[in-house]
Amino acid sequence: MELFLQTLLDGVLIGGTLVVIAAGFSLCFGVMDVIDFAVGEWVMLGAYTAFWFQEFTGGDPMAALPLFFALFFAGGYLLQPLIQRVTAGKRPHPVLMGLLFTFGLATVAKGSALYFWGFNFRSIRTWLSGQNVQIGITVPSLRFAGFLFGVFATLTFMAFLYWTRTGRAIRATAQDRVTAGLLGVDVRRISALVYAVYAGLTGMAGVLIGALFSIHAGMGLRYTTLAFFVVVLAGMGFVPGVIPAALFMGLLQSLTAVYLGSRYVGLALFGVFYLTLVVAPKGLFGRGS
Amino acid sequence: MKRRQWVPMAVGLLVAVGLALGPTEAQQAPVFKVGVVTSLSGEMNFGGNVTKRGYDLWADTVNAAGGIAIGGNRYKVQLVYGDDQSSPATAALAAERLITQEKVDFILGPYASGTTLAVAPITEKYKVPHITGSAESPLIWKQKFKYTFGTIPAVNQIAPASIKTLAKDVKPAPKTVAVIGIDDAFSKFAAQAFKDSAEQAGLKVVKFEIVPEGADYTPTITAVKAANPDILAIGSHEKAAMEMIKAAKELGFAPKAIVQHYGMTTPDFLKGLGKDAEFIFGSSVWTAALKHKGNDPFGTPAKYAEVFQKKYGTPPDYTEAASTAAGLAFEAALKQIGATPPLDQKEKDALVAALEKLNIKTFYGPIKFATEGDFYHDNVGLSSIALQIQGGKIVEVGPGALKVISPKYPMPAWTKR
Amino acid sequence: MRPLRLPALGAFLLLTLLAPFALNPFWLRILTEILLWIGLAVSWNIIGGYTGYLNFGHGAFFGVGAYVTAIAMVHAGLPFGAGLLLGGLASAALAAFIGLPTLRLRGAYFAIATWAFAEMIRQVALLLEVTGGAFGMRVPGLLDPNFFYYVMWAAVAGTCAITYGLMERSRMGYKLRAIREQEEAAETLGVATTRLKLAAFALSATFPGVLGGIYGYWTTYIHPDSVLSGSVTDQMVVMALLGGLGTAVGPILGAVLLQAVSRFLWLQMEQSVLYIVFIGLVICVVVQLLPDGLVGFWARLRRPQRGGNGAA
Repeated sequence: MELFLQTLLDGVLIGGTLVVIAAGFSLCFGVMDVIDFAVGEWVMLGAYTAFWFQEFTGGDPMAALPLFFALFFAGGYLLQPLIQRVTAGKRPHPVLMGLLFTFGLATVAKGSALYFWGFNFRSIRTWLSGQNVQIGITVPSLRFAGFLFGVFATLTFMAFLYWTRTGRAIRATAQDRVTAGLLGVDVRRISALVYAVYAGLTGMAGVLIGALFSIHAGMGLRYTTLAFFVVVLAGMGFVPGVIPAALFMGLLQSLTAVYLGSRYVGLALFGVFYLTLVVAPKGLFGRGS
Repeated sequence: MKRRQWVPMAVGLLVAVGLALGPTEAQQAPVFKVGVVTSLSGEMNFGGNVTKRGYDLWADTVNAAGGIAIGGNRYKVQLVYGDDQSSPATAALAAERLITQEKVDFILGPYASGTTLAVAPITEKYKVPHITGSAESPLIWKQKFKYTFGTIPAVNQIAPASIKTLAKDVKPAPKTVAVIGIDDAFSKFAAQAFKDSAEQAGLKVVKFEIVPEGADYTPTITAVKAANPDILAIGSHEKAAMEMIKAAKELGFAPKAIVQHYGMTTPDFLKGLGKDAEFIFGSSVWTAALKHKGNDPFGTPAKYAEVFQKKYGTPPDYTEAASTAAGLAFEAALKQIGATPPLDQKEKDALVAALEKLNIKTFYGPIKFATEGDFYHDNVGLSSIALQIQGGKIVEVGPGALKVISPKYPMPAWTKR
Repeated sequence: MRPLRLPALGAFLLLTLLAPFALNPFWLRILTEILLWIGLAVSWNIIGGYTGYLNFGHGAFFGVGAYVTAIAMVHAGLPFGAGLLLGGLASAALAAFIGLPTLRLRGAYFAIATWAFAEMIRQVALLLEVTGGAFGMRVPGLLDPNFFYYVMWAAVAGTCAITYGLMERSRMGYKLRAIREQEEAAETLGVATTRLKLAAFALSATFPGVLGGIYGYWTTYIHPDSVLSGSVTDQMVVMALLGGLGTAVGPILGAVLLQAVSRFLWLQMEQSVLYIVFIGLVICVVVQLLPDGLVGFWARLRRPQRGGNGAA
């Protein structure tokens, strides 16, 4: 029983580390029609930024999360027009072009990280690292904080989407770019804003992931893969589906690992992923765009 | 219409590419040209750069002394690199380039086993001697490649040392062990070696898990914790090991001992885990504290560690030492046959024959390549040592007479440190 | 111009056929690699370029072909040719099997589903005993560069010829392009879209199966991370796009250019990983400035007076 509960908790917390990334990624697809292949690279850059922050100031990167958000927000805002340029207008294959352009960006980011920061595996330590709380089962503090942060950030983000004027504009854009534009929504500004928020959130998630795992140039791919998985399960572009989908993904991993054997985790993930797409391409809730 | 215009274009392109790639300049000075195939990019770039440091240190040291002394003259060595991009196809291409374009005299091999298995057929085809300073997979030696040698014993020869020590030298003796192995060739062999040696020593294996690299390890650790073993043995590289140990600490799982191979001897492991690296066991065939004596430029492990630290700012681990030793093995064999650069085919074959007969003592320990059996052309002169991290340092704790300091067992809980 | 083309093509074919006599094994190996990538990019283009179904799991067929051929040779003792045939058939069969459910998906969904499927195949290869799992497989090697050059040449030439014949010159090609432009409209006009898509999918999967089989025999060692890695597909897609999607020549150009550039950078920067950055930059710049690939760019150069978008 204890093992089962612990396994459930592990799963929930694994999902929790991914909620924020997937939420931004999903919205990015909804609004801009861009599948951002570089999502994992934002995570990687966030983790490295936290590492260098700790290296130079000695401070706890968790305390500087708003700073990282601002940094990545700015980066995303500046980069977005380039992505916009290849997906908008009369160009052929906009989805493919977006995917390919971000693939190129991801390659540049990966290669530069390897070139400038070398091949070593870096680690960061926060005040919660390695702590846990015993409540019959063991609750790892840092992961739990990450889970709370993820859910909180996603909910705030959704509140913003559904209750503010800008949020409404974003949703309108996601539904129909052209009509939204005709109705006076500044589609360009909205798109840039969405991408900036997404980059900021993902960079912040990178700080947490860096503290939980280890930091190196190639770490991004894992998060690109998992973000794809969660977003497809949630229904592409359907942000509220992201939290349950991420938890489902985490539980699938932990239950498979404990009760079937860890070697089957990869097969279970991609098997479910493929079947979901074939059976229910609009996601578990049928609300994907 | 327009689709037919590709012909002149493609021809032009081919010509342009051919011109741009042109022949590389040949160096006429009497130096030994040494090809280095290793992973400078791709997933294995960490290990690839580790071997590169070992090879570089050998070349720099030889050249600082004026070169290899043969027949009254000294011949410098020149390393020519080929990045294998962690891919077998590129490794084969790199070997082919070094041999046919750069005309290297011999080759220092890749970090990983897969790329080594792609390079070996190429060196076989061109009959060029090849020593790998790193690849530890038994698969390589079973193929009985005539031109391929290795200075590190196979992983199933190294990994069991710590299990043996724990089974015999600590009180109260542990009874159960759980093994986790990452799903790559090397780590799976290491995990299998842990399992086999534990069973031989009379320990009960309560869990044996193979995990894909890059997974989140918490559920696996949870499953292992539920089996409540005395020893947790991890077959992996340093990254996965660090993440698993972080997960174990987060989940409050402190077995009486944690054994790991390979990674606990790398500086990143100590730096990344800090105090949490304390008490972790591992194995090696070489540490700076060993009492080897050789008549190479380094002489002793301590001296090697000092030179290495000065050059790279970090202490060496056994992969680097073994890579340097690969260079030393070539050097000794060259001196024995008195060959001068460039080597012709007869001299290359003589070099292989000399390597087969080689029996030298170096700072790295004895180098002697097996000439038969499952470890054909692998260095069998070394014995494996059990290590433990104590007080931020790696110390030798066994097995038996190899002990310098007693192993600390059981490991205290994470919170009581 | 027109009368010149046939002799030019003939001279080009003759030149490449004579290459083994002029080049040493290293350059031949590079050429063999380029040929391999031409074949892969062209085969991807059959389904991706002509029908607009972007297959992001095409590499799986390459890996399946490599493994089936290797298993047939190692475990069943079959000769290389028989193994190769089995490899190609297995890839086609697999494509036909998964094609039916997968081809119902459109756009990004199809792309992601094929990608997930390819990862699934990689996981299966890691789990199975017969593939050697994470230990990989040693394939008995034949170390004759000329042999591989010619085998690869023949396979790739066949791929290109069949693609060209079927896609540019036949009703099948027009119908497939109709699917790309407006699938519903094509259907109402009586095109049996499902059957046609499935045929194109299986056809496009056969070639990487065969090429994979040759590749395994050529490198003598295959591993899930080398032949089933996602980067195999990535590279095909980039090449096809770089050259120009849905044209006979585009993928060939793209493959030659990208492979040559990446090998050139690899040679020039033997100790640096900067080449990764360069390849990424090349992709970014091409996507930004040449959205219809090199072929489209060429067409625009040829007819500046028309301005606008020259790629029809």
